[in-house]
Amino acid sequence: MIEPRKTGPAVSEQIPVVAYRNVKKMFGAFAALAGVSMEVREGEVVCLIGPSGSGKSTLLRCTNGLELIDSGEIVLDGARMPQDWSGMRKLRQRMGMVFQNFELFPHKTALGNVMTGPITVLKQPRKMAERKAIELLTKVGLADKAASYPAQLSGGQQQRVAIARALAMDPEIMLFDEPTSALDPETIGEVLNVMKQLAEEGMTMVVVTHEMTFAKRVGDWIVVMDRGIIVEQGSPDRIFDAPTKERTRDFFSHLGWSA
Amino acid sequence: MTYDWAVVWENAALLWKGTQVTILLAAMTMAIAVPGGIVLALMRLSSIRVLSIASASFVEFFRNLPLILVIYTAYYVLPVATGLRLSPIATAIVALSLNVSAYNGETFRAGIASIRHGQSEAGYALGMSRFRVMIEVVLPQAVRRVLPVLASTWVSLFKDTSLVSVISVGDLAFESMRVRSQTFRVLEMLTAMAIIYWMLGYPQAKLVDWINSRYRVSE
Repeated sequence: MIEPRKTGPAVSEQIPVVAYRNVKKMFGAFAALAGVSMEVREGEVVCLIGPSGSGKSTLLRCTNGLELIDSGEIVLDGARMPQDWSGMRKLRQRMGMVFQNFELFPHKTALGNVMTGPITVLKQPRKMAERKAIELLTKVGLADKAASYPAQLSGGQQQRVAIARALAMDPEIMLFDEPTSALDPETIGEVLNVMKQLAEEGMTMVVVTHEMTFAKRVGDWIVVMDRGIIVEQGSPDRIFDAPTKERTRDFFSHLGWSA
Repeated sequence: MTYDWAVVWENAALLWKGTQVTILLAAMTMAIAVPGGIVLALMRLSSIRVLSIASASFVEFFRNLPLILVIYTAYYVLPVATGLRLSPIATAIVALSLNVSAYNGETFRAGIASIRHGQSEAGYALGMSRFRVMIEVVLPQAVRRVLPVLASTWVSLFKDTSLVSVISVGDLAFESMRVRSQTFRVLEMLTAMAIIYWMLGYPQAKLVDWINSRYRVSE
Protein backbone atom coordinates (compact mmCIF):
# COMPACT_ATOMS: atom_id res chain seq x y z
CA MET A 1 0.00 0.00 0.00
CA ILE A 2 2.73 2.46 0.96
CA GLU A 3 5.59 2.42 -1.52
CA PRO A 4 9.06 3.24 -0.24
CA ARG A 5 10.07 6.89 -0.47
CA LYS A 6 11.74 8.06 -3.62
CA THR A 7 14.07 10.57 -2.07
CA GLY A 8 16.01 10.28 1.12
CA PRO A 9 16.70 13.11 3.53
CA ALA A 10 19.78 15.21 3.35
CA VAL A 11 21.12 13.87 6.63
CA SER A 12 23.99 16.09 7.65
CA GLU A 13 26.03 17.37 10.52
CA GLN A 14 23.82 20.43 10.99
CA ILE A 15 22.28 21.31 14.31
CA PRO A 16 19.05 19.42 14.95
CA VAL A 17 15.67 21.11 14.42
CA VAL A 18 14.54 19.68 17.73
CA ALA A 19 16.69 18.15 20.43
CA TYR A 20 15.33 16.49 23.56
CA ARG A 21 17.69 16.29 26.49
CA ASN A 22 16.75 14.11 29.44
CA VAL A 23 13.10 15.18 29.20
CA LYS A 24 10.92 14.17 32.15
CA LYS A 25 7.18 14.57 32.53
CA MET A 26 5.07 13.39 35.46
CA PHE A 27 1.31 12.95 35.58
CA GLY A 28 0.81 12.81 39.32
CA ALA A 29 2.97 9.90 40.46
CA PHE A 30 3.13 8.42 36.97
CA ALA A 31 6.27 9.12 34.96
CA ALA A 32 4.99 9.55 31.41
CA LEU A 33 8.48 10.51 30.28
CA ALA A 34 11.33 9.26 32.45
CA GLY A 35 14.34 10.89 30.81
CA VAL A 36 14.14 10.98 27.03
CA SER A 37 17.00 12.17 24.83
CA MET A 38 16.89 12.26 21.05
CA GLU A 39 17.30 14.56 18.08
CA VAL A 40 15.30 15.39 14.99
CA ARG A 41 17.32 16.71 12.05
CA GLU A 42 16.16 18.82 9.18
CA GLY A 43 14.27 16.90 6.50
CA GLU A 44 14.18 13.80 8.64
CA VAL A 45 11.11 11.66 9.33
CA VAL A 46 11.29 10.33 12.88
CA CYS A 47 8.73 7.67 13.76
CA LEU A 48 7.88 7.06 17.42
CA ILE A 49 6.59 3.55 17.97
CA GLY A 50 5.80 1.46 21.02
CA PRO A 51 2.89 0.15 23.06
CA SER A 52 0.08 2.44 24.25
CA GLY A 53 0.98 4.44 27.32
CA SER A 54 4.67 4.32 26.46
CA GLY A 55 4.96 8.12 26.30
CA LYS A 56 5.05 8.65 22.51
CA SER A 57 2.10 11.02 22.38
CA THR A 58 3.23 12.80 25.54
CA LEU A 59 6.63 13.45 23.97
CA LEU A 60 4.93 14.88 20.89
CA ARG A 61 2.61 17.07 22.98
CA CYS A 62 5.57 18.34 25.01
CA THR A 63 7.28 19.30 21.76
CA ASN A 64 4.77 22.05 21.06
CA GLY A 65 3.97 22.81 24.66
CA LEU A 66 0.48 21.36 24.91
CA GLU A 67 2.11 19.70 27.93
CA LEU A 68 4.91 21.40 29.85
CA ILE A 69 7.87 19.27 30.89
CA ASP A 70 9.02 18.91 34.48
CA SER A 71 12.75 18.71 33.87
CA GLY A 72 15.31 18.38 31.13
CA GLU A 73 15.06 20.56 28.06
CA ILE A 74 13.70 20.70 24.55
CA VAL A 75 15.77 22.76 22.14
CA LEU A 76 14.25 24.18 18.97
CA ASP A 77 16.76 25.41 16.37
CA GLY A 78 19.40 25.76 19.04
CA ALA A 79 17.20 27.74 21.44
CA ARG A 80 15.90 26.22 24.65
CA MET A 81 12.10 26.24 24.66
CA PRO A 82 10.61 28.26 27.52
CA GLN A 83 8.34 26.12 29.65
CA ASP A 84 5.59 28.69 30.04
CA TRP A 85 2.36 29.23 28.19
CA SER A 86 3.02 32.57 26.51
CA GLY A 87 6.56 31.77 25.40
CA MET A 88 5.33 28.51 24.00
CA ARG A 89 2.61 30.20 21.95
CA LYS A 90 5.11 31.90 19.63
CA LEU A 91 6.99 28.64 19.11
CA ARG A 92 3.82 26.69 18.36
CA GLN A 93 3.30 28.83 15.28
CA ARG A 94 6.44 27.27 13.84
CA MET A 95 5.21 23.69 14.33
CA GLY A 96 2.26 22.01 12.67
CA MET A 97 0.29 19.45 14.64
CA VAL A 98 -2.06 16.78 13.36
CA PHE A 99 -4.30 15.05 15.88
CA GLN A 100 -5.66 11.54 16.07
CA ASN A 101 -9.25 12.84 16.04
CA PHE A 102 -8.57 15.48 13.34
CA GLU A 103 -10.07 18.25 15.49
CA LEU A 104 -11.21 20.23 12.49
CA PHE A 105 -13.40 23.18 13.47
CA PRO A 106 -16.91 21.88 12.66
CA HIS A 107 -18.38 25.37 12.17
CA LYS A 108 -15.93 26.24 9.41
CA THR A 109 -15.64 24.84 5.89
CA ALA A 110 -12.55 22.96 4.78
CA LEU A 111 -11.28 26.21 3.30
CA GLY A 112 -12.17 28.12 6.47
CA ASN A 113 -10.29 25.61 8.58
CA VAL A 114 -7.14 25.95 6.50
CA MET A 115 -7.36 29.77 6.49
CA THR A 116 -7.95 30.14 10.24
CA GLY A 117 -4.32 30.04 11.37
CA PRO A 118 -2.91 32.48 8.80
CA ILE A 119 -5.76 34.96 9.32
CA THR A 120 -6.11 34.95 13.10
CA VAL A 121 -2.51 34.25 14.13
CA LEU A 122 -0.32 35.52 11.27
CA LYS A 123 -2.78 38.36 10.45
CA GLN A 124 -2.51 37.64 6.76
CA PRO A 125 -4.89 39.43 4.39
CA ARG A 126 -7.90 37.26 3.59
CA LYS A 127 -7.18 37.05 -0.15
CA MET A 128 -3.64 35.87 0.43
CA ALA A 129 -4.69 33.28 3.02
CA GLU A 130 -7.41 32.02 0.71
CA ARG A 131 -5.06 31.58 -2.24
CA LYS A 132 -2.63 29.65 -0.05
CA ALA A 133 -5.45 27.53 1.42
CA ILE A 134 -6.74 26.53 -2.01
CA GLU A 135 -3.21 25.63 -3.02
CA LEU A 136 -2.84 23.42 0.05
CA LEU A 137 -6.23 21.75 -0.40
CA THR A 138 -5.18 20.98 -3.98
CA LYS A 139 -1.95 19.51 -2.66
CA VAL A 140 -3.83 17.10 -0.38
CA GLY A 141 -6.24 16.28 -3.20
CA LEU A 142 -9.30 18.08 -1.84
CA ALA A 143 -9.65 21.22 -3.95
CA ASP A 144 -13.21 20.16 -4.80
CA LYS A 145 -14.14 19.94 -1.10
CA ALA A 146 -13.14 23.51 -0.18
CA ALA A 147 -16.75 24.50 0.56
CA SER A 148 -17.61 21.31 2.46
CA TYR A 149 -18.01 21.21 6.22
CA PRO A 150 -16.07 18.58 8.20
CA ALA A 151 -19.28 16.63 8.90
CA GLN A 152 -19.70 16.15 5.14
CA LEU A 153 -16.22 14.63 4.73
CA SER A 154 -14.93 11.11 5.36
CA GLY A 155 -12.36 10.55 8.11
CA GLY A 156 -9.52 10.37 5.62
CA GLN A 157 -10.63 13.57 3.94
CA GLN A 158 -10.95 15.34 7.30
CA GLN A 159 -7.44 14.29 8.27
CA ARG A 160 -6.07 15.56 4.96
CA VAL A 161 -7.78 18.92 5.57
CA ALA A 162 -6.20 18.90 9.05
CA ILE A 163 -2.78 18.37 7.46
CA ALA A 164 -3.44 21.29 5.09
CA ARG A 165 -4.52 23.43 8.07
CA ALA A 166 -1.23 22.72 9.83
CA LEU A 167 0.80 23.36 6.65
CA ALA A 168 -0.90 26.74 6.19
CA MET A 169 1.27 28.09 9.01
CA ASP A 170 4.42 27.25 7.02
CA PRO A 171 5.78 25.13 9.85
CA GLU A 172 9.44 24.14 10.18
CA ILE A 173 8.38 20.80 11.54
CA MET A 174 5.20 18.71 11.46
CA LEU A 175 4.04 16.65 14.42
CA PHE A 176 1.64 13.77 13.77
CA ASP A 177 -0.11 12.18 16.75
CA GLU A 178 -1.40 8.80 15.58
CA PRO A 179 -2.87 10.40 12.46
CA THR A 180 -4.47 7.23 11.13
CA SER A 181 -5.60 5.52 14.35
CA ALA A 182 -9.16 6.86 14.13
CA LEU A 183 -9.58 6.08 10.44
CA ASP A 184 -11.42 3.35 8.58
CA PRO A 185 -8.88 0.97 7.02
CA GLU A 186 -9.82 2.02 3.49
CA THR A 187 -8.98 5.69 4.10
CA ILE A 188 -5.69 5.16 5.93
CA GLY A 189 -3.75 4.90 2.69
CA GLU A 190 -4.78 8.31 1.37
CA VAL A 191 -3.54 10.01 4.54
CA LEU A 192 -0.27 8.07 4.63
CA ASN A 193 0.35 8.93 0.99
CA VAL A 194 -0.04 12.65 1.69
CA MET A 195 2.41 12.26 4.57
CA LYS A 196 4.86 10.40 2.35
CA GLN A 197 4.60 13.16 -0.24
CA LEU A 198 5.45 15.70 2.47
CA ALA A 199 8.45 13.62 3.51
CA GLU A 200 9.68 13.50 -0.08
CA GLU A 201 9.44 17.26 -0.27
CA GLY A 202 11.85 17.45 2.64
CA MET A 203 9.46 18.30 5.50
CA THR A 204 10.85 17.53 8.93
CA MET A 205 8.36 15.24 10.63
CA VAL A 206 7.84 13.48 13.94
CA VAL A 207 5.20 10.79 13.60
CA VAL A 208 3.65 8.78 16.41
CA THR A 209 2.24 5.76 14.63
CA HIS A 210 1.14 2.17 14.79
CA GLU A 211 1.57 1.81 11.02
CA MET A 212 4.74 -0.24 10.93
CA THR A 213 4.81 -0.42 7.14
CA PHE A 214 4.76 3.36 6.98
CA ALA A 215 7.46 3.66 9.65
CA LYS A 216 9.67 1.19 7.85
CA ARG A 217 9.29 2.63 4.37
CA VAL A 218 8.99 6.34 5.00
CA GLY A 219 10.76 6.80 8.33
CA ASP A 220 14.45 7.74 8.44
CA TRP A 221 14.86 7.13 12.12
CA ILE A 222 12.82 4.86 14.33
CA VAL A 223 12.45 5.45 18.06
CA VAL A 224 11.01 2.63 20.13
CA MET A 225 9.49 3.77 23.42
CA ASP A 226 8.18 1.88 26.40
CA ARG A 227 7.20 3.08 29.89
CA GLY A 228 8.46 6.58 29.38
CA ILE A 229 11.91 5.76 28.08
CA ILE A 230 13.50 5.12 24.70
CA VAL A 231 14.16 1.40 24.46
CA GLU A 232 16.25 1.75 21.32
CA GLN A 233 16.54 3.95 18.27
CA GLY A 234 18.08 3.53 14.87
CA SER A 235 17.53 3.30 11.15
CA PRO A 236 14.40 1.45 10.01
CA ASP A 237 16.45 -1.46 8.68
CA ARG A 238 18.28 -1.81 11.97
CA ILE A 239 15.17 -1.60 14.16
CA PHE A 240 12.78 -3.65 12.08
CA ASP A 241 15.20 -6.28 10.79
CA ALA A 242 17.57 -6.61 13.70
CA PRO A 243 16.09 -5.23 16.93
CA THR A 244 18.58 -5.67 19.73
CA LYS A 245 16.26 -5.22 22.71
CA GLU A 246 13.90 -7.81 24.10
CA ARG A 247 11.15 -5.23 24.59
CA THR A 248 11.29 -4.19 20.95
CA ARG A 249 10.96 -7.80 19.86
CA ASP A 250 8.06 -8.28 22.30
CA PHE A 251 6.31 -5.24 20.88
CA PHE A 252 6.73 -6.45 17.31
CA SER A 253 5.48 -9.91 18.16
CA HIS A 254 2.40 -8.44 19.85
CA LEU A 255 1.69 -6.55 16.65
CA GLY A 256 2.17 -9.72 14.64
CA TRP A 257 5.02 -7.98 12.86
CA SER A 258 7.70 -10.41 11.78
CA ALA A 259 11.11 -8.91 11.32
CA MET B 1 -74.32 37.85 30.95
CA THR B 2 -73.85 39.89 27.80
CA TYR B 3 -70.57 40.44 26.06
CA ASP B 4 -69.52 43.69 24.55
CA TRP B 5 -66.56 43.01 22.23
CA ALA B 6 -66.68 46.58 20.99
CA VAL B 7 -64.60 47.52 24.03
CA VAL B 8 -61.66 45.65 22.49
CA TRP B 9 -61.88 47.52 19.17
CA GLU B 10 -62.38 50.85 20.89
CA ASN B 11 -59.15 50.32 22.78
CA ALA B 12 -57.22 48.70 19.94
CA ALA B 13 -54.69 51.55 19.80
CA LEU B 14 -53.94 51.13 23.49
CA LEU B 15 -53.53 47.38 23.13
CA TRP B 16 -51.25 47.92 20.12
CA LYS B 17 -49.13 50.31 22.17
CA GLY B 18 -48.96 47.72 24.98
CA THR B 19 -47.96 45.03 22.54
CA GLN B 20 -45.12 47.17 21.25
CA VAL B 21 -43.88 47.75 24.79
CA THR B 22 -44.01 44.00 25.49
CA ILE B 23 -41.95 43.25 22.38
CA LEU B 24 -39.53 46.06 23.23
CA LEU B 25 -39.08 44.74 26.79
CA ALA B 26 -38.33 41.20 25.62
CA ALA B 27 -35.98 42.34 22.84
CA MET B 28 -34.05 44.81 25.02
CA THR B 29 -33.75 42.27 27.83
CA MET B 30 -32.38 39.60 25.50
CA ALA B 31 -30.02 42.12 23.87
CA ILE B 32 -28.50 42.70 27.31
CA ALA B 33 -28.83 39.18 28.72
CA VAL B 34 -27.09 37.33 25.86
CA PRO B 35 -23.79 39.23 26.14
CA GLY B 36 -24.40 39.32 29.90
CA GLY B 37 -24.74 35.56 29.97
CA ILE B 38 -21.56 35.10 27.93
CA VAL B 39 -19.61 37.38 30.27
CA LEU B 40 -20.98 35.50 33.32
CA ALA B 41 -20.02 32.16 31.74
CA LEU B 42 -16.48 33.33 30.90
CA MET B 43 -16.08 34.69 34.44
CA ARG B 44 -17.36 31.42 35.86
CA LEU B 45 -14.89 29.38 33.80
CA SER B 46 -12.01 31.77 34.48
CA SER B 47 -9.03 30.53 36.47
CA ILE B 48 -9.22 33.76 38.49
CA ARG B 49 -11.08 32.66 41.61
CA VAL B 50 -12.63 36.02 42.46
CA LEU B 51 -14.31 36.26 39.06
CA SER B 52 -15.51 32.69 39.21
CA ILE B 53 -17.04 33.09 42.66
CA ALA B 54 -18.61 36.45 41.79
CA SER B 55 -20.26 34.93 38.73
CA ALA B 56 -21.48 31.85 40.58
CA SER B 57 -22.95 34.00 43.35
CA PHE B 58 -24.72 36.28 40.88
CA VAL B 59 -26.21 33.35 38.99
CA GLU B 60 -27.37 31.45 42.06
CA PHE B 61 -28.81 34.63 43.62
CA PHE B 62 -30.94 35.76 40.69
CA ARG B 63 -31.84 32.32 39.41
CA ASN B 64 -33.44 31.38 42.70
CA LEU B 65 -35.46 34.51 43.44
CA PRO B 66 -39.01 34.96 42.12
CA LEU B 67 -38.89 37.36 39.19
CA ILE B 68 -41.68 39.48 40.62
CA LEU B 69 -39.63 40.03 43.78
CA VAL B 70 -36.68 41.23 41.68
CA ILE B 71 -39.00 43.58 39.80
CA TYR B 72 -40.47 45.07 42.99
CA THR B 73 -37.04 45.37 44.55
CA ALA B 74 -35.61 47.10 41.49
CA TYR B 75 -38.53 49.51 41.54
CA TYR B 76 -38.60 50.39 45.23
CA VAL B 77 -35.07 49.74 46.47
CA LEU B 78 -32.81 50.60 43.53
CA PRO B 79 -33.58 54.36 43.53
CA VAL B 80 -33.10 54.59 47.30
CA ALA B 81 -29.96 52.46 47.35
CA THR B 82 -28.21 53.99 44.35
CA GLY B 83 -29.85 57.38 43.94
CA LEU B 84 -30.50 56.35 40.36
CA ARG B 85 -33.93 57.36 39.08
CA LEU B 86 -34.91 55.18 36.17
CA SER B 87 -38.15 55.19 34.24
CA PRO B 88 -40.44 52.21 34.94
CA ILE B 89 -39.50 50.69 31.57
CA ALA B 90 -35.77 50.99 32.26
CA THR B 91 -36.32 49.55 35.75
CA ALA B 92 -38.24 46.66 34.23
CA ILE B 93 -35.45 45.98 31.73
CA VAL B 94 -32.86 46.01 34.55
CA ALA B 95 -34.87 43.51 36.60
CA LEU B 96 -35.60 41.22 33.65
CA SER B 97 -31.97 41.40 32.50
CA LEU B 98 -30.62 40.39 35.91
CA ASN B 99 -32.87 37.35 35.91
CA VAL B 100 -32.37 36.27 32.31
CA SER B 101 -28.60 36.95 32.37
CA ALA B 102 -28.34 34.50 35.26
CA TYR B 103 -30.16 31.83 33.25
CA ASN B 104 -28.15 32.56 30.12
CA GLY B 105 -24.93 32.42 32.13
CA GLU B 106 -25.68 28.84 33.10
CA THR B 107 -26.73 28.02 29.54
CA PHE B 108 -23.50 29.35 28.03
CA ARG B 109 -21.39 27.75 30.73
CA ALA B 110 -22.86 24.35 29.90
CA GLY B 111 -22.43 25.06 26.20
CA ILE B 112 -18.78 26.02 26.52
CA ALA B 113 -18.06 23.05 28.77
CA SER B 114 -19.61 20.72 26.20
CA ILE B 115 -17.00 21.58 23.56
CA ARG B 116 -14.30 18.95 23.88
CA HIS B 117 -10.81 20.01 24.88
CA GLY B 118 -9.25 18.75 21.66
CA GLN B 119 -10.91 21.63 19.83
CA SER B 120 -9.12 24.15 22.03
CA GLU B 121 -5.86 22.26 21.58
CA ALA B 122 -6.23 22.45 17.82
CA GLY B 123 -6.49 26.23 18.20
CA TYR B 124 -3.49 26.40 20.56
CA ALA B 125 -1.48 24.23 18.15
CA LEU B 126 -2.00 26.92 15.49
CA GLY B 127 -0.50 29.44 17.90
CA MET B 128 -3.75 31.09 19.03
CA SER B 129 -3.99 32.75 22.44
CA ARG B 130 -6.56 31.55 24.97
CA PHE B 131 -8.74 34.53 24.09
CA ARG B 132 -8.52 33.80 20.35
CA VAL B 133 -9.38 30.14 20.91
CA MET B 134 -12.44 31.17 22.92
CA ILE B 135 -13.63 33.67 20.28
CA GLU B 136 -12.68 31.74 17.18
CA VAL B 137 -13.16 28.10 18.15
CA VAL B 138 -15.14 27.51 21.34
CA LEU B 139 -17.81 30.22 21.51
CA PRO B 140 -19.12 29.84 17.94
CA GLN B 141 -19.67 26.14 18.58
CA ALA B 142 -21.07 26.68 22.08
CA VAL B 143 -23.57 29.30 20.86
CA ARG B 144 -24.85 26.99 18.13
CA ARG B 145 -25.19 24.21 20.63
CA VAL B 146 -27.24 26.29 23.10
CA LEU B 147 -29.36 28.09 20.52
CA PRO B 148 -32.42 25.90 21.22
CA VAL B 149 -32.13 26.63 24.95
CA LEU B 150 -31.78 30.37 24.29
CA ALA B 151 -34.86 30.22 22.08
CA SER B 152 -36.88 28.57 24.87
CA THR B 153 -35.64 31.20 27.30
CA TRP B 154 -36.84 33.86 24.87
CA VAL B 155 -40.34 32.38 24.72
CA SER B 156 -40.53 32.22 28.53
CA LEU B 157 -39.21 35.75 28.78
CA PHE B 158 -41.79 37.01 26.31
CA LYS B 159 -44.58 35.85 28.59
CA ASP B 160 -42.81 36.77 31.83
CA THR B 161 -42.56 40.40 30.74
CA SER B 162 -46.24 40.62 31.81
CA LEU B 163 -44.99 40.65 35.42
CA VAL B 164 -43.63 44.16 34.98
CA SER B 165 -47.19 45.48 34.82
CA VAL B 166 -46.99 45.52 38.63
CA ILE B 167 -44.70 48.55 38.46
CA SER B 168 -47.02 50.29 35.99
CA VAL B 169 -44.98 49.71 32.87
CA GLY B 170 -47.44 50.15 30.00
CA ASP B 171 -47.00 46.71 28.48
CA LEU B 172 -49.77 44.59 26.98
CA ALA B 173 -50.83 43.17 30.36
CA PHE B 174 -50.88 46.57 32.02
CA GLU B 175 -52.90 48.27 29.27
CA SER B 176 -55.39 45.40 29.11
CA MET B 177 -55.92 45.57 32.84
CA ARG B 178 -56.31 49.32 32.71
CA VAL B 179 -59.07 49.06 30.11
CA ARG B 180 -60.69 46.37 32.23
CA SER B 181 -60.73 48.52 35.34
CA GLN B 182 -62.21 51.45 33.44
CA THR B 183 -64.88 49.47 31.57
CA PHE B 184 -65.43 46.49 33.89
CA ARG B 185 -65.24 44.27 30.78
CA VAL B 186 -63.14 41.56 32.43
CA LEU B 187 -63.81 38.60 30.21
CA GLU B 188 -63.49 40.54 26.97
CA MET B 189 -60.17 42.08 27.93
CA LEU B 190 -58.71 38.83 29.30
CA THR B 191 -59.72 37.08 26.09
CA ALA B 192 -58.22 39.81 23.92
CA MET B 193 -55.00 39.67 25.95
CA ALA B 194 -54.85 35.89 25.70
CA ILE B 195 -55.33 35.97 21.94
CA ILE B 196 -52.63 38.58 21.41
CA TYR B 197 -50.08 36.80 23.65
CA TRP B 198 -50.92 33.48 22.03
CA MET B 199 -50.71 34.79 18.48
CA LEU B 200 -47.32 36.31 19.22
CA GLY B 201 -46.09 33.34 21.26
CA TYR B 202 -47.18 30.46 19.05
CA PRO B 203 -45.07 31.35 16.00
CA GLN B 204 -42.12 31.86 18.31
CA ALA B 205 -42.59 28.43 19.85
CA LYS B 206 -42.79 26.94 16.36
CA LEU B 207 -39.61 28.80 15.47
CA VAL B 208 -37.93 27.23 18.50
CA ASP B 209 -38.98 23.78 17.26
CA TRP B 210 -37.50 24.60 13.88
CA ILE B 211 -34.25 25.86 15.40
CA ASN B 212 -34.12 22.68 17.47
CA SER B 213 -34.22 20.51 14.41
CA ARG B 214 -31.99 22.78 12.34
CA TYR B 215 -29.16 23.07 14.84
CA ARG B 216 -29.20 19.57 16.22
CA VAL B 217 -25.59 18.77 17.03
CA SER B 218 -23.86 16.97 14.22
CA GLU B 219 -20.20 16.07 14.29
